[in-house]
Amino acid sequence: MEKQQYEFIGKQFDIKNIGKVTGKELYSSDINIPGQLYAVVLCSPYPHAEIKKIDYTEAEKMGAICIGPDDVPDYLYNERIVSIPEKTYRDRTVLPKDKVRHIGEAIAACAAETEEEAFAALKKIKIEWGKKWKPLIDLDEAIKDDAPSIYDCVYLGEEKVDIKNNIACERNIDVGDIDKGFKEAEVVVERTFNTQRIYHMQLETKSAVCVPEADGGITVWTTSQGIHNVRILLGNIFNIPLNKVNVKRITLGGSFGSSIQMNSITPICVALALKAKRPVKLVSTREDDIYDHSKYPLKTILKIGAKKDGTLTAAHCRVWVEIGGHNIQAYPYLGCVAGWFASLYKWKNIKYEGTAVYTNKVPTCAMQGYGNPQINFAVESLMDILAEKLDIDPIELRLKNYVGKGDEFWGQGPTVRSIIRSCGVEEMLIEGAKLAEWEKRTPPSKKKGELRRGIGVARGFHTSGTGGPNPGEVIDYSGATIKINEDGSVDVLTALMDHGGGTWDAVAKVVAEVLKVPYEKVGIYNEVDTRTTVFDVNTHATRGVYCGCGAVKFVAEKVKEMLLNYAATLFKDLPENLKLACNKKLGQAVIYPREIPENYMTLGEIAEHAHITSWGAIAYTSTLRQKNCPPCFITHFVEVEVNTKTGEVKVPRAVIMGDSGTIINPDLWEGQIIGAFSRGLGFSLLEETKYDLNSGGLECNGLITDYKIPTTVEMPKVDNIIVRSAHTYEPTGPFGAKGIGEAALSSVGSAVANAIYNAIGIRFYDLPITPEKVLKALKRKEEEEKESRRRVGDKVD
Amino acid sequence: MEEYKIDLTVNGEKISTTAKAEESLLKFLRRNGFTEVKCGCEKGECGTCTVILNEKAVKSCITLALQANHKEVWTVKGMEKFELGRKLQKSFVNYGAIQCGFCTPGMIITAKNYLDQNPIPNREEIKKAISGNLCRCTGYKKIVDAIYAVAVENQRSK
Repeated sequence: MEKQQYEFIGKQFDIKNIGKVTGKELYSSDINIPGQLYAVVLCSPYPHAEIKKIDYTEAEKMGAICIGPDDVPDYLYNERIVSIPEKTYRDRTVLPKDKVRHIGEAIAACAAETEEEAFAALKKIKIEWGKKWKPLIDLDEAIKDDAPSIYDCVYLGEEKVDIKNNIACERNIDVGDIDKGFKEAEVVVERTFNTQRIYHMQLETKSAVCVPEADGGITVWTTSQGIHNVRILLGNIFNIPLNKVNVKRITLGGSFGSSIQMNSITPICVALALKAKRPVKLVSTREDDIYDHSKYPLKTILKIGAKKDGTLTAAHCRVWVEIGGHNIQAYPYLGCVAGWFASLYKWKNIKYEGTAVYTNKVPTCAMQGYGNPQINFAVESLMDILAEKLDIDPIELRLKNYVGKGDEFWGQGPTVRSIIRSCGVEEMLIEGAKLAEWEKRTPPSKKKGELRRGIGVARGFHTSGTGGPNPGEVIDYSGATIKINEDGSVDVLTALMDHGGGTWDAVAKVVAEVLKVPYEKVGIYNEVDTRTTVFDVNTHATRGVYCGCGAVKFVAEKVKEMLLNYAATLFKDLPENLKLACNKKLGQAVIYPREIPENYMTLGEIAEHAHITSWGAIAYTSTLRQKNCPPCFITHFVEVEVNTKTGEVKVPRAVIMGDSGTIINPDLWEGQIIGAFSRGLGFSLLEETKYDLNSGGLECNGLITDYKIPTTVEMPKVDNIIVRSAHTYEPTGPFGAKGIGEAALSSVGSAVANAIYNAIGIRFYDLPITPEKVLKALKRKEEEEKESRRRVGDKVD
Repeated sequence: MEEYKIDLTVNGEKISTTAKAEESLLKFLRRNGFTEVKCGCEKGECGTCTVILNEKAVKSCITLALQANHKEVWTVKGMEKFELGRKLQKSFVNYGAIQCGFCTPGMIITAKNYLDQNPIPNREEIKKAISGNLCRCTGYKKIVDAIYAVAVENQRSK
C-alpha cells in the first residue's frame, strides 16, 4: 500500500501538554468562580430501599441550598448518549424518585459557602425510609423468580419496556448453522469463565463546576470524554435551549471509559446552581467515586468445536453480565462483546446469547476495552486448552484461524461492520515468538522447584472507532475548525478530548503534515467549549486518532485548498501548479510554483497578504464520519514466575507486539501499551471490587489501600518489556493510522493466565488470579496427585 | 472551626494568613490558589498531593496546615527555581512520562526530594522511592526512565 516519508507523522516532539509538568494544567476541580458555593452529596447507605420522604428544612435553616428528588426534573434519561435514541435504555433521573438501587447512590445534595458548612448541613437532612430489601449481589440470585424487582419498567427509546427477573436486556445472534458446525467438529471443548468487577481508579475524582448565566443558560466545567454529549443531555434534562448550555473542555485526570457517559454528579451540580442562582462546585470524594462506577464483569460459558487439524467449525458463546443499579450501556455492551468474540477467529458457525442483569451494586460502564478483555480471557484461554488437546502449538492454532485481511470485522457489535484492510497478526505472532524465545518453552511437567516460570501467549484487538459503511446503532463523527493566523501559525479548535494518550499531539502532527507547518506552530488549546467547536462524539472506542484525526485531516485539506486558491491569485498561476512545502530553515511553510522553489512565499506572507487586502480568513470548519472501523491488533507474550510457597505471581518479562498501522506518536504509543499492561496486570492478578453479601457495601469501603492497584513494585522487575510495532498501513486511516488505546489491554489477562498454566499446570478460569487462589489450587493439585499415586499403588498391590 | 495565624513560605514566597485548626495542608494550599497540588484521595494513599515540607516530601492531605507554620513548602510550580526541578520537568516531557498528568505534580516532587538525598540511584531504587505515588496511566516505566535519565546525568556531571 501507499507508504511514504513524512515530515511530522511518526516523529518525536515535545508533548503539547507542557502545563502538566509545570503545574499550570487546570482540571475541573481547579476551577474556582468568585462567589461559588461548595456542594456535597448525600449517598445512600442502603443497597435497595424505598425513599418515603426527604426533609432538608433543618439543613436549609443553616443557610445551605439543598436538593432532593422533588427538586430535579422527572426527565428519564441514560447518561450515555453515544447509541442512537431507539437503542438507548433510559432508567434514571438526576436523583432517584422512588427508591435507591445501590449503596452510594446520590439521594440529596447541599451547597454552602464552604465544604465544611455543606457537610454540616448534609447531616441535618432527614430521610424517612420505607421498605428495605436484601441486596441482590449475585447474578444468579437476581434472576430468580422470587427476587425483588429492582425496576418494574424502563424505557427503550420512547417505548416502555417491562423488566422481568431483573433482566435489563438481552442480545442473541446467530451466524450459520450451529448444530451443523458442532456435528462437523472432531473435538469439542467447553468451559466457564468469570472476570470480575474492577474500579477505574482514575487519579482525578469526578468533578463539576456550574455557573448559571443571566440569559437562563449555564456554563459547565466537568470531567468528560465528550463535552457535546454533556451539553445535549443537560439541555434535555433541564429544558434549556442547547445553545445556552456551554460545556467547557478541560483536561481530565484519567478516565479509562468512566466519563464516556455524563458523570452522575454533573446534573446534581447543575440542579444546585440553578436553585441557588449562584456558581456551584462539586468534587467527588474518593469513596463517593468508588461507589459511582465500575468495570463490567462477565460470566462466559464458551464451547468451541474443531477438526483434528485445528480448523474451527463452531462456537457457542453464552454471556451474563450483572450491571448494577442502572443500565448505562449494557445493550451496546452485549453487542460489542459479541463483536469481539466473533471477530477473533473464524468460527464459521456462531450462536451468541447475551443477558444483562440488574443487581444492587455500583452501576457498571466501559473501562478500556468495553468487554473485550473479558471475552478475550475466555476465548484465548480456551484456544490454549484446544491447542493442548489437539497437540498443536498455540501459535499455529491461532495462525490457522484468525480473522484477518479481507475478512469482516465487527467494530461495534453486529450493526457496525467493515472489511479488514490492514493486518499485522501473522507478523506479530511470528516475530513476537522469536523475541520471546517461544521455542525454548517447556511444558508444565518439566518445571520444578519453588519458583516456576512459564510463558503464555494471547492475542487481541480493538476497533478504531465505531464507523461502518452503514451508520449502525452508534453515533460517530468528529469535527474541527482550523484557521491560519496572520503570521502563518495555525490554530485547531476541536472538542476532541485527549486523555493523555497523545490525541492532541497526533492532531498537531496531522495538521502539520497536511499544511507543512512546523509542529511548534500548530496550536491546540483547552480554552474551547461546546459553543466554539462543532460536534465530536467522544474520545472512546479507540477512535481518537482514526476518527478524530481523520476529521482533522479532512478539514486541514480544505484549508490547504483555500490557501492554494488564494496563493494562486498572488502567483498569477493555477492552484494545481503550486507546491506547498515545509522550509525547515525558515521555520515556515512555503508555497512556490512547481519546479521554481526559489520563487517561494512563506505561509506567513500569504496569510498577512490575505489579511491586509481583506481577502478574508483562511479557515474551515467541518465534520467527518469515518466509514470503517479497522481493528488495531495486539499480541502479548508474557513470562510469569509463580512462587509455589506464597502463591505470588511476578512478571519478569513481556514482549508486546502492536499493530496500529502508521504510528503517529511512537513514544506515546509505546507509553499507552505499557500503561495498559500495568492495568492489565491489576486486572489479571490483583484487583476486584468485592461486595459484602448482606450489607451490599464494598469490602474496600472506598479506600484505595484496601482496593489495591499496581504500584511501581508490581511492574516487571527490570522493566523488561519489549514493545514492537507491526509494519502495516491502514488505507482508510489518516496517513495510514489506526488506534491502539483499548487494544493494548485486551489480551493481557489471557496471556498471564496462559503463562501461569505453563508454569504450574493449573488453569484458572476466574480473574483475578490472586496468591490465595494460586495456593489453594496448588494444594488441590498436590492432593489429587497424591490420590492418583495411591490409586496406582493400590492397583500394583 | 477556630482559625490560627500561620506564616510560611510557599515556593519561596512568604505567606501570612490564617488556617483552620483541622485544615489539611492540601486544602489550605488549594484554598490559597496552589491548585497544582492535586487531591486524589485525602487519605494519604495515592501521593498526588505530595509537597516538600522543610526538605521532606510529605503527603499534604495528611499533614495539617498548621504543621507548616514557619516552614518552607515547595510545590511543582516552584520546581523551576531548582536546576534539578527543571531537569526533571524536561525529562518527564522528553520521556513521555506524562499521560493524564494528574499524578505528575506529586511524582515530580517525590522524585526531586529523593534525588536531592540520593542523586545517583539505580532503577530499582527509583521504583521503590516512588512506590507511594500511584499512576494509573503510564505503568510507571516511562516515569522511572525519566527519573533515571536525570540520575545518569547527575553521575556524569559528578
